[in-house]
Amino acid sequence: MVRPNDTGEDYFRPVRRILLGGLILCLLAFFLLWRIDNPRTERFRAQVVDKILPAFDWILVPAAQTAGMLENFQSYSRLYQQNQELQRELQQMRAWKETAQQLEQQNAKLKHLNNVQLDPKLTFVTGVVLADSGFPFRQSVLLNVGQQDGIVDGWAATDGLGLVGRISGVGSRTSRVILLNDSNSRIPVTIQPSGERAILSGDNSRLPLVRFVENPESVKHGDRVISSGDGGVFPADIPVGHVVRGADEHLRVKLSADYNGLDFLRVLRSHARPPVSDAGGLIVPAPAPGASVLADSQATDG
Amino acid sequence: MAEKSRAASYCINCGAYFGLMLLLMLLCVLPFEITPGGISTPRPDLQVAITLAWVMLRPQFLPTPLVAAVFLLSDIFFMRPLGLWTALMVLTVEFLRARERASRELPFATEWALVSLALLAATGANWLILYAFLVDSTGPGPVLLRFMATMLAYPLVVLLAQWVFGVRKMAQGAMDAWGRRI
Repeated sequence: MVRPNDTGEDYFRPVRRILLGGLILCLLAFFLLWRIDNPRTERFRAQVVDKILPAFDWILVPAAQTAGMLENFQSYSRLYQQNQELQRELQQMRAWKETAQQLEQQNAKLKHLNNVQLDPKLTFVTGVVLADSGFPFRQSVLLNVGQQDGIVDGWAATDGLGLVGRISGVGSRTSRVILLNDSNSRIPVTIQPSGERAILSGDNSRLPLVRFVENPESVKHGDRVISSGDGGVFPADIPVGHVVRGADEHLRVKLSADYNGLDFLRVLRSHARPPVSDAGGLIVPAPAPGASVLADSQATDG
Repeated sequence: MAEKSRAASYCINCGAYFGLMLLLMLLCVLPFEITPGGISTPRPDLQVAITLAWVMLRPQFLPTPLVAAVFLLSDIFFMRPLGLWTALMVLTVEFLRARERASRELPFATEWALVSLALLAATGANWLILYAFLVDSTGPGPVLLRFMATMLAYPLVVLLAQWVFGVRKMAQGAMDAWGRRI
């Protein structure tokens, strides 16, 4: 079949046709396998990417940095404008700094009063974005940290500003982050201040959809959206973004994370909480020594 | 000696195809622009456009297993459903390979229409199968726009092959390196 000049040879045609049919059947069977046993084939995919992509590290990282430099160079042309903007922002920030310092002191006092212990396990691993999905209908990025760094499927990835996505597919040296706007992404969220629970579902657009809100009237433009941790697979209370109303009158979320400049991502370590399995026993005072005898005699009477 | 140089030219041509596809894949995967392109900026699928142009210009230098390998690799890298698009592309390439000789004397517009129809069928089948298997896929709009962008890129790829690399369509009675008709 690989032979260069098989077209003229009559006896070769039926063989070629059979081999071709076999190849196509194999590929379709592979697709069926992917549909039926998705986790296993996705693990296979992660392993293949993990084998191949780090070999091109030497070109991926410099190329991405060159692109970043070009973008920076373009921004030189708007230097004056940027300077003005920055000065304005700096003034605002000074005001905020005052507020922050006051709040910090207040917070320290309150924590002291409450004797709060922050969870020491809530730490993160930082990874560099190696590659994206390369296909317009799939939104994901590949990080250069994997099983060797203790990454586990399902952990959250943030860029410091807000939630970026969820780890889905871990190789030994790489891991894939499904971004919030991928059409396969579903994240349970809470909308503040109304406290409405909802599902944030990506649809390949810049603004993912908010679905299954119980009272859409109570949700307003600009409300904060944070992850809710419902279902126990995803850490709670990570800022996601703000509610906006799309052109099609659907509730959508403007993400806080800066999707234009994803380079370093933090993968938050989260640990499974122990499940609550039963309703819990009745709390009663320990019975006095004579009490059981009394109960027995009552039982025989009745 | 001549046999050896023919084999070498075959290897070089196939290697060039594979290298080009690998390069395109790496370029696509580079994290330049992570924001979703969506409907506003449909971009051509250059891998598909170049493969289709290659099979119409030099079918003898495009072995089917190589096509399958290239597209399976891109399925794996681009997070597409594994195997389905590869199977459809292999079918499309074989369909065009069988009609390549007949299209040699026809004007370019006919060839373009033939390639477009074949790719449209493959794109439609891909979408329908994904829909039938309840795979969470994109709506038909963006997929169609991408198909159109790819088909608009096809003449450019053919022109590039002609002007820059000097690859023209083969003549009706062309002989291959072994002196047989192709």
